[in-house]
Amino acid sequence: MTDKKTDKETIPAKGKVGVYICYCGGNISDHVEVEKVRESMEKIPGVEVARTDMFMCSDPGQEMIMQDLKSGTVDRVVVASCAPSLHETTFRSAISRAGANPYIYEHANIREQVSWVHHGDQATDKAIRLVAAATAKAEGLKPLEPIRMEARQHVTVIGGGIAGLRTAKDLADCGVAVALIEKSPFLGGQIAQLERLAPTGDPAADIVTELAGEVLGDPGITVHTCSLVETFNGYVGNFTLGVKKRPPDTDCEKLSSLNPSGRTPGEFIPFKGFYPESVAARAEELSIETGVVVLATGFKSYTPRRGEYGYAEFPEVITLPELIRIMAENKTTDNCLEINGRQVRSMAMIHCVGSRQIPGIHPEDESGNFNEYCSRTCCSATLDTAGTIRQSYPGTRIFELYRDIRTYGRGQEELYEQAAKNKVVFLRFEADESPEVIRSNDHDDFPLRVKVKDVLTFGEEVEVPVDLVVLATGMEPNNVSELVDMMKLPVGPDRFLLEVHPKLRPVELPVGGILLAGTCQAPMDVGEACSAAAAAAVKAAVLLGRGYVELDPFVAEVDLEKCRGTGACVEACLNEGALNLVEMEVDGEMVQRAQVTSALCWGCGACVAVCSENAIDINGWTLKQYEAMVDIIVADEATA
Amino acid sequence: MALVNPNFAEEMERFGADAALECFNCGTCAAICPLIYEHFPRKMIRYLQLGAKDRIMENASELWRCLHCGLCTQTCPREADPGEIILGLKRFAVANWRRS
Repeated sequence: MTDKKTDKETIPAKGKVGVYICYCGGNISDHVEVEKVRESMEKIPGVEVARTDMFMCSDPGQEMIMQDLKSGTVDRVVVASCAPSLHETTFRSAISRAGANPYIYEHANIREQVSWVHHGDQATDKAIRLVAAATAKAEGLKPLEPIRMEARQHVTVIGGGIAGLRTAKDLADCGVAVALIEKSPFLGGQIAQLERLAPTGDPAADIVTELAGEVLGDPGITVHTCSLVETFNGYVGNFTLGVKKRPPDTDCEKLSSLNPSGRTPGEFIPFKGFYPESVAARAEELSIETGVVVLATGFKSYTPRRGEYGYAEFPEVITLPELIRIMAENKTTDNCLEINGRQVRSMAMIHCVGSRQIPGIHPEDESGNFNEYCSRTCCSATLDTAGTIRQSYPGTRIFELYRDIRTYGRGQEELYEQAAKNKVVFLRFEADESPEVIRSNDHDDFPLRVKVKDVLTFGEEVEVPVDLVVLATGMEPNNVSELVDMMKLPVGPDRFLLEVHPKLRPVELPVGGILLAGTCQAPMDVGEACSAAAAAAVKAAVLLGRGYVELDPFVAEVDLEKCRGTGACVEACLNEGALNLVEMEVDGEMVQRAQVTSALCWGCGACVAVCSENAIDINGWTLKQYEAMVDIIVADEATA
Repeated sequence: MALVNPNFAEEMERFGADAALECFNCGTCAAICPLIYEHFPRKMIRYLQLGAKDRIMENASELWRCLHCGLCTQTCPREADPGEIILGLKRFAVANWRRS
């Protein structure tokens, strides 16, 4: 650990504060009398200058702050503007560019917390109190340095699907050592359950074999199959994962049955995956020291409820993944497709099964969840399969029942056009009038009928006689609740893992050093999952590239002159390991004193609250600073 | 209720309507048609796609409203040739008149 100490002598303990108040183009100034706030600030002792600007975040606004710092007019900065989540970094960075320490900065939020919610004099009064409190705190701010930690040049990827494989290979190519952890005995994930990938028609087996081969052939990557992460400790750059390898209980038999002809590890087994190694004979535990963790835990295909469109009630109703597998394993050259021993003269494919569900219309699952999102890949997969069937089995008629066709990607709209050329007939239904799958009456030649109010036939009720119904099932995130609890990961309302920012930081999580790749985050096709995986690899390489990571310095610090070593803080500490009692020599005597491990400290302040000696404080949020804020908030003259 | 006949569109090829399944039901033909009559010819083409023979025969007299001006065929974005489909449906209606 290289916790760099600051040269605190260069800047006086009590500062010259500059206050910069923003109009936000009327967002603030329409309700807060900004000039009145400025006048009030000018009266506060310790405030050297108070200035206003139409947009403080603009270049001229930032330049104004930098000028005051460079000329030595001020050495503490308060900006009163929008929420700190928006522009705190902007202003800290401006301060750095002016050559000052970015932590001599305090932010007052007078937009979200004032002008957007209060009006008239009250708004101005509250703004004055908030900005005054910020100046009082700013006066006592001391320069801080980010905590610099050495980073292990190692990444752990959880999940051996296409995203996990792509991330592992890309990182290994950057020279970073990688551990790939996969719970099943196979690599390739859900892609191994497919025959060909729309819209290009690439064989899934080739894609998995190629990438898995590259991963296994790379000396920088260690692959652990049949493995689960059981424990998780540490912080960005220095995580420790406890991993348990188990021999697969049922899979072992299946594996040997797959291997009658002496199939060796290192080949692709259709609808299983790439089989990289002989499986572990007995349970084994390992500990992996790693710098960054990439989650590539993937999705599972939605399983329709019993009775949903007749699923599990009628043997002629199957899902699209089931159809793909049956077709791959029973290739014929007949005129008609044959499924489970039955000629398919006519079949219906129903879109949006388990996707775009609407509360009140669709049934919820046993935990009360709805899949309100579009799974994005099923339209193309369905159209592609329809095209394949029409071309290989021209005797099989296809009817597609959809709510909307969403072939959104490159080369995918062509699948829709191609379907019409292949004489696929489309029927459209409204969300609240889903098709019904019913048994045909005895004298009918077809076993099932699909009954639907067809929008394209002006709402007339139409019945399609069919031999087979195929449900285009969507994606659901794999259940990773144990990882979520262990790593404290944010989960969105759709139960997928939730990134920091959907546009600007799409593969990062708020937990430092943990990244996202692929369909654990949202439904994606193979290309998109690989893009996300490559992005995660780059982000991991960036985190580790400098050899160290920097953490916010808002952590506890012990005043050794006051500490008596009671241990109350250690007991109160919420993150095990962040605070410890250590032996040290004081005045020639061996005594116990509290010591902070900065990288583990959350800066929560639980220790500060219990110390009877006031010997521990949180940097950037000291008790003295709080007191100064409270004093000025309750003082009368602040609002005068 | 209209019962779908999966093989009808193919039967219709014999009557000269072979592009009906290209139609994606946009309604441009009905919008341009000078008859301005109840979604004509779109609705007829839709019945053909589904193979709703009964509906076609019930409404067969509508087919003779068509002036064969060719505007629908000119404007169809899918080149489904609506004018030719209507002609084909006329031939079908004539062939099946007695039987129905």
